[in-house]
Amino acid sequence: MDIFKALTKIPRQVIFVVIALAVMSPLLIPIGLPVRVMPKSQQLFAAIDSLDPQSKPVLISIDFDPQSMPELYPMLIAILRHCFARDIKVIVMALWPQGPGLAEMALDVIPKEFNKEYGKDFAFLGYKFGVTAILLGMGDNIKNVFPVDYHGTPLDSIEITADLQNYDNLSLVITLSAGDPGWRAWLLYAQARYSARVGIGVTAVSAADVYPYVETGQVIGLLAGMKGASEYEILVHEHGYSEGKRTATQGMDAQSLGHLVIMVFIIIGNIGYFVMRRKK
Amino acid sequence: MNISLDPWIWLSALLTLAIFSFLFRDNILYQFAEHLFVGMSAGYLIAITWHNQMVPNLFEPLFIQGNLVYIIPLLFGLCYFARFIPKMGYLVRLPIAFLLGWGSGAIIPAIFQRDILKQTQGTLLVREAFLKWDTGLWAIIMLVGVISVLIYFFFSTERKGIMKPAANLGIIFLMLGFGASFGYTVMSRISLLIGRLQFLMGDWLGIIE
Repeated sequence: MDIFKALTKIPRQVIFVVIALAVMSPLLIPIGLPVRVMPKSQQLFAAIDSLDPQSKPVLISIDFDPQSMPELYPMLIAILRHCFARDIKVIVMALWPQGPGLAEMALDVIPKEFNKEYGKDFAFLGYKFGVTAILLGMGDNIKNVFPVDYHGTPLDSIEITADLQNYDNLSLVITLSAGDPGWRAWLLYAQARYSARVGIGVTAVSAADVYPYVETGQVIGLLAGMKGASEYEILVHEHGYSEGKRTATQGMDAQSLGHLVIMVFIIIGNIGYFVMRRKK
Repeated sequence: MNISLDPWIWLSALLTLAIFSFLFRDNILYQFAEHLFVGMSAGYLIAITWHNQMVPNLFEPLFIQGNLVYIIPLLFGLCYFARFIPKMGYLVRLPIAFLLGWGSGAIIPAIFQRDILKQTQGTLLVREAFLKWDTGLWAIIMLVGVISVLIYFFFSTERKGIMKPAANLGIIFLMLGFGASFGYTVMSRISLLIGRLQFLMGDWLGIIE
């Protein structure tokens, strides 16, 4: 068979194996390629870093499921570490039904690293169905939407939520979003209608859609995919806030090699295609 | 090497491998894992909706606290089941009409604010954008991009004269946008693969930290 024709017909199984090897090898033997922190990640970090312990709580909404964990869960961990290291109070909630499990996983571990206490330093409101009613209702009165926390305790009897009224009582809202309901709804209701300060962490697939909103200032900062998570981990580490495990940063070598292999395959396929077309 | 002894990790790892087996070709292991996932997701969603939504938001206020106003949403909800009775099928229009009316009223002004007003403001060339040369340059590029793409989607006049090169420029901006989206999509998929490999090689086999 003509070599150029063969280039356009590489079996997909071969491509999968090569990509798998390219991704696995740097996980086994890390290369340590540098990760440059992008301005949009820096902006979100700076927004949280500018808060002090007396600030109003930060609300983190877990709007993703386990399928998006590699990209969004490291963001959650890094943001929690940043907030707790600076003694900033955190309230967590979920717009996705799978969110509570992920929140519990993180809240079981990270607060202990910083000796943080439930109710005093952080609270978990749980999951609620019906995004429009929830986000509009929170603009009016959060306690009407979440009368009790995830464990069934009334918000009035929890120290950090006792005086919570609406978005005005939050320093900023951060949504870690893998789709709908997620960042679009938070921008639509919390930001556009109630002028809440919204920061966003998204899977890389959605990142290009969020950029216009960052440019206009509707979003205070953006973490895009595993790269964004890794950038935030680096910022938290460089500022001496945590020495904890950096999962996303560990994956960045593999990410770079994976991209390189895909680029090579795209170039090979195009060479084969153009040569074959010229021969015809 | 420090292989996990946790049976849940093993189950999770074996199911991951079963799903990965589809990359070779469709097979019974993949189908088993896929059906298990669909069934479990549906069951989980029903359980969480019952405990998280139906009980605290309807049954407790109505049947335990005796708040009779909650009969209205209950009846509205029950109207959805009228579909199964052909003679009463028209009742389903009531909750749908309510949702459409309420939803449109809530969403349209917010979308106008989020996507039209703010985005148009963001495209305008303001003096602050030119305080630094690079932000000024990007502001001009953004304005040119928005106008040329809008011209590309303007179908009411024939593309000739200035309209033709402007629309062609719009195509270039669109292609750049599609390229960025595709690049991000590749990045996302590779991230998912990395996540699974970190689990298989770390949590399961213990050959990475």
